Amino acid sequence: MTYAFPWLLLPLFWSARNRARRREPGDGLRAALFGGIGLAVAGALFAVAFWLTWQLLDYEELGDYLIRLGLGWLFLTFLSFVAFSAVVSALSTFFLSEDLRLLLPAPVPQSRLFHSRFARTVVQAGWMVVAFVLPVLLGLGLARCAPPGYYLAALVTVVPFVVIPSALGCLVTLGLVSVFPARRARDVLMLMGLLFAVALVLLVRFLRPERLLDVQSLPDVTAFFATLQSPVTPLLPSFWAGESLFAALRGQLDLLHLGALWTSAFALTVLVRAAYGRHHFSAWSKAQEARKARFTRLAFLEPLLRLLPMAPARRALLVKDLKVFLRDTTQWSQLLLLVALAFVYVYNFRVLDLDRIPYMSRIVKNAYAFVNLAMAAFVTAAVAVRFVFPAVSAEGSAFWIVRTSPVQLSTFLWSKLWTGLVPILVLAEALTIASNLLLGVDPLLRVLGAFGIACMTLALVGLACGMGAEHPRFAAENPTQVAGSYGGVAFMVLAVLYILTTVALLAWPASIYLWYEYRGLPIPLARRAAFAGVLGGVVLLSVSIFWSGMRRGVRALEALG
Amino acid sequence: MILVEALVKTFGSFRAVDGVSLDVKPGEIHGFLGPNGAGKTTTIRMIAGLLKPSSGRVSIDGHDLASEPEAAKRSLGFIPDRPFLYEKLTAAEFLRFHGGLYGLEGGPVEERTRELLALFELSGWAHELVESFSHGMKQRLVMCSAFLHRPQAVLVDEPMVGLDPRGARLIKDVFRVMSRRGVAILMSTHTLEVAEQMCDSISIIQGGRIIARGTVPELHALAGTDDPQLTPVFLKLTGGGAFQEIEL
Repeated sequence: MTYAFPWLLLPLFWSARNRARRREPGDGLRAALFGGIGLAVAGALFAVAFWLTWQLLDYEELGDYLIRLGLGWLFLTFLSFVAFSAVVSALSTFFLSEDLRLLLPAPVPQSRLFHSRFARTVVQAGWMVVAFVLPVLLGLGLARCAPPGYYLAALVTVVPFVVIPSALGCLVTLGLVSVFPARRARDVLMLMGLLFAVALVLLVRFLRPERLLDVQSLPDVTAFFATLQSPVTPLLPSFWAGESLFAALRGQLDLLHLGALWTSAFALTVLVRAAYGRHHFSAWSKAQEARKARFTRLAFLEPLLRLLPMAPARRALLVKDLKVFLRDTTQWSQLLLLVALAFVYVYNFRVLDLDRIPYMSRIVKNAYAFVNLAMAAFVTAAVAVRFVFPAVSAEGSAFWIVRTSPVQLSTFLWSKLWTGLVPILVLAEALTIASNLLLGVDPLLRVLGAFGIACMTLALVGLACGMGAEHPRFAAENPTQVAGSYGGVAFMVLAVLYILTTVALLAWPASIYLWYEYRGLPIPLARRAAFAGVLGGVVLLSVSIFWSGMRRGVRALEALG
Repeated sequence: MILVEALVKTFGSFRAVDGVSLDVKPGEIHGFLGPNGAGKTTTIRMIAGLLKPSSGRVSIDGHDLASEPEAAKRSLGFIPDRPFLYEKLTAAEFLRFHGGLYGLEGGPVEERTRELLALFELSGWAHELVESFSHGMKQRLVMCSAFLHRPQAVLVDEPMVGLDPRGARLIKDVFRVMSRRGVAILMSTHTLEVAEQMCDSISIIQGGRIIARGTVPELHALAGTDDPQLTPVFLKLTGGGAFQEIEL
């Protein structure tokens, strides 16, 4: 007789305990940083929920209506999020997880294996939603002085609410894997997820929620709420969760909707268990059958790159990096999200109506140019940590090929740098120039912005490339893991410090220039010399960060032996 | 003890295993040889319960793998060629967890763990994380886990990969002792010397089919070679003897 299913979860707990006992360098910094960010986000969510609810207390019936609607939307959003997340998690826990090779040959009853995997899927798919929803519900409850029963109802509601979409996600995964090989299904899902995220971002942006703040558009508000009301249907678990919590908020117990949540969660779990009992092994076997993967040949790439004047070794590295990147759906598809975000970013400036502030618009616009510069630099740093920092680690167990070949490690690292620098520089310049044009910023500040972002991109990409080589994680499963490592976090900390310093350095001459410009006075020579000095300082700082980052990276690679 | 009847596995239109039958008796060490891509690992994975056969039957110790999977698997110890280990567990924790999977708990499993770690020269590493182990040490730890529950049948895919001569010799000795105690061992290997030294009988698979079966002398007779080594026999039977002259 084998142990009950929690035994199968023990390696997770033991591994976590061992990891905690044997701390690696940077674990404390990482925990403090991510814990701090987590707490700040939870605090912000709590504060916003509390403030909004507090404001709505003044509107009695309308306030109640909006809280009810808000709860319905909150849970509807999370319902789709958990369902999608569960599809991806189930793919991993039931079909791709390495430890299945150990567990399947063991005499573990199928039902126990199912329960352990299902529990993992529910936790993986739902933890983030729970972490987001709990501060919101806490803020709501405290602002409304809810009775203690509300907090109990919140827990009793959230648990089945997470189980229902997780179970549905598991069923979808079983269906998907029965049709596609598991690894292909994961690629399809990742792409679907990103397209979903892109669509969501664009949809929210094009709704133009800022219109609500405009007094002239008040007649549109009722139409806006009518639009919001339409997807909240009584047939969805999100509606049941919202209703049961709204009742608890008023000190009532809504057994109907709570019962609907629990019975649905239980029934779906039984259904999924039966489906997995019947089809999991067949689907798992099918998942192993991808004999030949389809891939993009990219035949144009090599002839195209042969046109570039570069040494064969550098070209070989570049061709390899581009092919690997473009054939990995999980990699290039993130570019779609990036393009959508960049599009929304620029669109924001198009709809930003600063001319409504008659006397201040010019000052606000020019001040905004620096906020814009900092934002573009943060985007650059985020892109660099995601795409450039993991470049060396991405060689993984194949790094021996480079190390045993007659290619200098500096050539290798510089190849990684150019592969990242060119596209990121184009992106950063396009963002800065387009947004400053749409803002109507002073021409000199536009040039200064383009110059500043070029310096910062060079420094940030060089630093990311060098630090990625200094802190490689060859055993990491994916680039996100590398980006979240100690080195990645340290890079982000340094990047933020550098960006703030550079923007501050650039803002000083800009403010002096604008001061003289507004008054129509000529700028004294001493001031001009000081400007040149500051600009030179920015160049020097950027180049030295770039250079020292790359040099340390090359040295670290050479020190690998 | 390990009975395989007309096993077939197809991947789309490709027939990776085509009607393989094997019968490994208690106490027998049976070698399973074949060139790369012949279907050895696919067959082994089906016997281990890692892959569903398209048709055919596997039974371990009289238990049908399809209808009584738990009973069949309880009698089997499996040593894969690329084993999975939890890198963040210690060797002792890993074996305790593995014991739990086979229903072993408490004092006896601790005692057995100590014995096996000592046998495979890992006692000093019992409380170290698996991630710090060399490839050979990981392979020895997997052997510990495979023998932890005293299986009646052992399925081994490439047992000598990554082992130093001392480790390889230890494994050979362990297999011989187990065989004397009546354990059936089905061993897939590319190391023909090992097969020659250890196996009571050998099956050679090619293109998903068993093309030859018998003891080492029987295979020599079948191939019609006088060479005392198994390599020429293997090459002749699998058609791999042709040598193309290439400029090296």
